[in-house]
Amino acid sequence: MSSIIMCIDMDAFFASVEQQANPKLRGKPIAVIGSGSRTVITTRSYEARTYGVKTGMNIYEAKKLCPNLILVVGDNEKYAHTCNELSVIYNKYTPDIEIYSIDEAFLDITTTQHLFGGPEAIGFAIKKEVKDQFGINCTVGIAPNILMAKLASDIAKPDGLRWIKPEDTEPLLKDLPVKDLWGIGSATAEKLELLGIRTCAELGKAPASILRNKFGIVGETLKRMGQGFCDRPLIVKEEDPKSIGHSMTLPKDISDREALKAELLKLSSMVCSRARKHGFVGKKITLTVRYSDFETFTKQATLQVHSNCTHEIYHNASDILDSIRLIDKVRLIGVSLSDLMLENEVQLDLFNGDAKRKSMLKAVDSLNDKFGDSTVTWASYLKATESPSVISPAWKPSGVRNTNIKN
Amino acid sequence: MRVGEDITVLASFGMPYRIKPLSFTWSGRTIEIKEVTYTWKTKEGQRDVHHFSVTDGNTLYELTFDAASLLWQIESLEA
Repeated sequence: MSSIIMCIDMDAFFASVEQQANPKLRGKPIAVIGSGSRTVITTRSYEARTYGVKTGMNIYEAKKLCPNLILVVGDNEKYAHTCNELSVIYNKYTPDIEIYSIDEAFLDITTTQHLFGGPEAIGFAIKKEVKDQFGINCTVGIAPNILMAKLASDIAKPDGLRWIKPEDTEPLLKDLPVKDLWGIGSATAEKLELLGIRTCAELGKAPASILRNKFGIVGETLKRMGQGFCDRPLIVKEEDPKSIGHSMTLPKDISDREALKAELLKLSSMVCSRARKHGFVGKKITLTVRYSDFETFTKQATLQVHSNCTHEIYHNASDILDSIRLIDKVRLIGVSLSDLMLENEVQLDLFNGDAKRKSMLKAVDSLNDKFGDSTVTWASYLKATESPSVISPAWKPSGVRNTNIKN
Repeated sequence: MRVGEDITVLASFGMPYRIKPLSFTWSGRTIEIKEVTYTWKTKEGQRDVHHFSVTDGNTLYELTFDAASLLWQIESLEA
């Protein structure tokens, strides 16, 4: 039996939430932005799209295109809560759910669809529940795999429902440009065009050997994508993370090392607190620095033993910073911990020299869990700037990617 | 405009809205809520704080209900 996968995509999610929350914004061109001084458009309403306002544009560009554009500072807590509640709705119809991003989810309804009157009935029921509960619209795509389900939702946007059955795949892909397929970006589309491949049908018929020569192992995957096949299963259970990291764009470019170290302490504290919460320790520390001209580089250090202690990660990140000759002011700084393993799988320390420090961190974590973030924190932390308030697209309602959301 | 003041709220608890504020009294004035435009929940440590975006038809208010202290507050308003 062919699988039945549903893609649910919120329409202009952040902007729709803001328009629903504030009746004066309804029917108007609005753009949701971050609270930082160097923010860009994160989402725009359908009204703003008609003026050509795009995600990622700076405010000046957007206002030039649409002088009446209303800018709304995003409220991450609202979006995170809505995403959590959406997964409660999805769970009524199937336990096999992949929350792909804050506004997109894939549901495998193969074995449950008959209980609810079929795929379309589930799709319409979810659309209704989302509308009734939040007042916002979503688009539903249904197909035999996630690639085609995503295509179905893209075609049906906004506020639509489209079911691509196996027999519909070939005629649909015949003249469809390859860049319309999920996962084929403009760079790949350009390379394909150099091979004379513009449509999905051409991609599906292209000799695998040519695609392999050009794209390596991905060549065969691309050919199958052109035929409407996709072997990627739904990731229902979150895999263990490969790294845990945080970065931030500073409110203004700085070169003062002490100020940068205050940021490093804050970022190290966020990384370690998340690692401890989920029981991970790491051995590799990576410092990311982006200069004013956007040139970005990373430098790593390896610890002798795995750790998730804030002071240890901070001191090592700080040593990395000291070893770098900064050639320009810094725009963004980031810390990540990788080479992760579960804390309870680490060999015990024979002399237990760090026991006091670990107990202290445990006490700090438990106080912060009970009374809220940063109830107890490092005094030097107070020198750091406020965190940027743009929610990561990788945010998830549960697991390691469930970072703390604050506006 | 940030407000952050305690208020008295008349609310219904139950389905389908779970908690629905109906009117509130602030600075001696009672304001009838015409529409609850959005609701969301945040955590302050282990405390659940329920947020309500509400309007009386003219002004948009954000009200909060702290489930631990059972206190209502008016967080902000936008005329």
